[in-house]
Amino acid sequence: MTAMPIALYIEQIVNGLVAGSMYALVGGGIALIYGTMRVLNMAHGEFYMMGGYAAFYLVGRAVPPVLAIPLVAGLLFLVGAAVQRLTVHYLLRQDGWLFACIAATLGLSIAFQNLALIVFGEDYKTVPYYVEGILRLGDIRLPLQRVLMLLVAVGTLLAMGFLLKKTRFGWALRATSQDSDAASVCGIPVSRVHMITFGLSAALGGVAGAMLAPIYSVSPWMGLPVLFKGFVVVVLGGLGSFPGAIVGGLLLGIVEALGVQITSAEWRDVFGFALMIVVVWARPWGLFGKAP
Amino acid sequence: MLEIRGLDVAYGDYQVLWDVSIDVAAGEIVAILGPNGSGKSTVLKAIIGLCRARSGTIRFEGNDLARLAVHDRAGIGIAMVMERRRLFPAMTVRENVLLGAYPAAVRHDAEARLGWVEGLFPILRERGAQPAGRLSGGEQQMVAIARGLMAKPRLLLMDEPYLGLAPKVVLQINDIIRRINAEGIAVVFNEQNVNLSFALAHRGYLLESGRLMLGGTGQEMLHSDVVRRVYLGE
Amino acid sequence: MFQPLRLNALLTAVVAALAVLGLPLLGVGSYVLHVMILIMIFAIFAVAYNLVTGYLGLKTFGHHAFFGLGAYGSALISIHLGIGAWASLWIGAALAAAFGLFIGLPILRIKSMAHVAVVTLAFAEIVRLSCSNLKGLTRGELGLWGIPAFQAFHLPLVGEVVFSPANKIGYYYLAALLLGMTLLATAVILRSKIGLAILAIRDGEDAAESLGVNLTRVKLGVFGLSAFMVGVAGAFYAHYVGILTPSAAIGADLMILVIAMVLVGGLGTFAGPLVGAVLLTSSAESLRFLDQYRLLVYGGLIVLVVLFAPRGLASLRLPGKRVPGRPA
Repeated sequence: MTAMPIALYIEQIVNGLVAGSMYALVGGGIALIYGTMRVLNMAHGEFYMMGGYAAFYLVGRAVPPVLAIPLVAGLLFLVGAAVQRLTVHYLLRQDGWLFACIAATLGLSIAFQNLALIVFGEDYKTVPYYVEGILRLGDIRLPLQRVLMLLVAVGTLLAMGFLLKKTRFGWALRATSQDSDAASVCGIPVSRVHMITFGLSAALGGVAGAMLAPIYSVSPWMGLPVLFKGFVVVVLGGLGSFPGAIVGGLLLGIVEALGVQITSAEWRDVFGFALMIVVVWARPWGLFGKAP
Repeated sequence: MLEIRGLDVAYGDYQVLWDVSIDVAAGEIVAILGPNGSGKSTVLKAIIGLCRARSGTIRFEGNDLARLAVHDRAGIGIAMVMERRRLFPAMTVRENVLLGAYPAAVRHDAEARLGWVEGLFPILRERGAQPAGRLSGGEQQMVAIARGLMAKPRLLLMDEPYLGLAPKVVLQINDIIRRINAEGIAVVFNEQNVNLSFALAHRGYLLESGRLMLGGTGQEMLHSDVVRRVYLGE
Repeated sequence: MFQPLRLNALLTAVVAALAVLGLPLLGVGSYVLHVMILIMIFAIFAVAYNLVTGYLGLKTFGHHAFFGLGAYGSALISIHLGIGAWASLWIGAALAAAFGLFIGLPILRIKSMAHVAVVTLAFAEIVRLSCSNLKGLTRGELGLWGIPAFQAFHLPLVGEVVFSPANKIGYYYLAALLLGMTLLATAVILRSKIGLAILAIRDGEDAAESLGVNLTRVKLGVFGLSAFMVGVAGAFYAHYVGILTPSAAIGADLMILVIAMVLVGGLGTFAGPLVGAVLLTSSAESLRFLDQYRLLVYGGLIVLVVLFAPRGLASLRLPGKRVPGRPA
């Protein structure tokens, strides 16, 4: 391997961190829902997709990004909460709800994709960068768009962490995820907690979709690859662990960025999935957690 | 205060309670007795709403509970200490206890009650910052009772309060239940052992195979032929 | 499965079989035969999927990998090694079964359904991406074409049996034969001691241990057999349509379609996957003009069935009608 300037390495790692922060947003959303409801949400990629479209139409109508991103989050919160209330809410009471939820969200995923295809068309939509310009630190060059992505992701995740640790609702959410019957006996409205959790998860996915929209283009199919990335992330971090998903996301981002040297982009996902299967086989509780 | 009339409960096609009627007056300690699988636990779960009544009514201070969800019952003066404690293991002791005061109706004076509860259970101050999952069984039972008391109950339900506890801890728990009761809180608990139960309870009910066999004071029940037949198969 | 085969069930099966076998004699058009062949391919897939997911209780979401492995395996072998489609079909299916045993081992160790779902999905993605990336071998998304058809042969009394796009009768009877074999194998297994063990596994594993059956071996064997059946369906499909792309032969859409079929027909029932394959394939064909809504409808259908008829459409009871023998 030819020697690469050190600045280039740092650039790669920072790019990996940026991508990883997006994976963390997506994976965090999947983990939140799995952690509280034990539901593997197969439609999570479509929340991401809707975030992309919402950003496209808002920014296209000259809404400034600083307003558009919170709007996307709010919109997706409502979508997620509605999806939970209309489907998962009823399924959780069924016998065999584990499978029913996976199957139903899979159905939702395919329905949302094709609804988007009909409503928005099959052409790929491009979204302009939210900020132009390049940040220069010595030899290191970083597009400001990527810096913004990192900042938004860190800000969003910190806000989520604060919500979970310091607010009444956060306590209720954590209590529900640990023992939902005991939580309801304490007076926590478990169904409402589930609904709000779904909304928060969708909002995280939506923000990721909105932030990545200028990098990749927006299309009805953009969700599926991201869903798979999210699965890799949550398996690495231990399914259902929110902090685990964040660490898993950053790890995957950096490994991918450095791995480009070793393997071509088209085989990258194959290795990612293979790694995930090995992790499930050897450490089903994740790379960092303790065995139960 | 609590009035159960003709309660039937079934899990799917499997009926576990048949026509059970129970009364609890304010400030009483009532034991629900019976062998394993007699449906004692189901009575408590039906009161808090964790299982649905197929027929019959449960009234608390005159209000029919049927329309109230589980989480709403906590706010009207009923609290439950669940079987095997059921703390939130990854949350701290303090968080566990404070979650007991989650209902909006009891939130405003939670701080004052926390002081009283910490007086009852010194361990809450000593180990408040530790994850609840690390405590011993007896300590967890204290935290579970403390969590229930934070809901400002007038009726405290305790599902198998002695389960898996050392005899010394059982005495401690009894002592605490008496002190809670002295504050005017009615307590309903279930337990297999008749003698153990009447060390504490004013009155008791005996269940066998989901049917109410007998109800009465400790003296009446300890000398009852029915109790002897149910337990000794005579 | 404990009760003896009931007379009306047997009668229904015989009538259905006769109807399937008699259909081409009525001189129906090539298009009807084509739809019937598609139904039978999907029926094999759905029956095999149901065997694992409905009966074994192992909820996998990656069975389309075995369809693709059977299809690409058989196609590539017949193209490059000069082995006829009659033999390559079984080799392709065996390849799918081998992969099934390979991936089945780790899957069976996993207790959590979500992990099984994620791993099986990832496995299918690996197969699809590999077929798509190995362009030198598979031509990727450009499509692998020139897949030989089944060779014609002479049958006494009937004459020359040919396999061509113009004359689909040969394909039709071959598909019917493969479906019949799949159903027969499934029925034999479910009525055997292994079948008892399978049902015991589904209803709680403790019972199975006491039957004296090696659980892991039974599960793995059934998983491998299911992969083999799906591989057969895939291989037949390859030689029938003559062209393969990774997205068509290993796409997640395929899995979703089969899941919809099994759910609509009734998960864990013998006739469910057949009913589902007939309903969904024929409705898709008759709604061709709604083509862009097709997947939207499938997705919505899965959600509705799971919500309102979790045991399949057949379990939807008409108001006022009771299933006899069940308490109110």
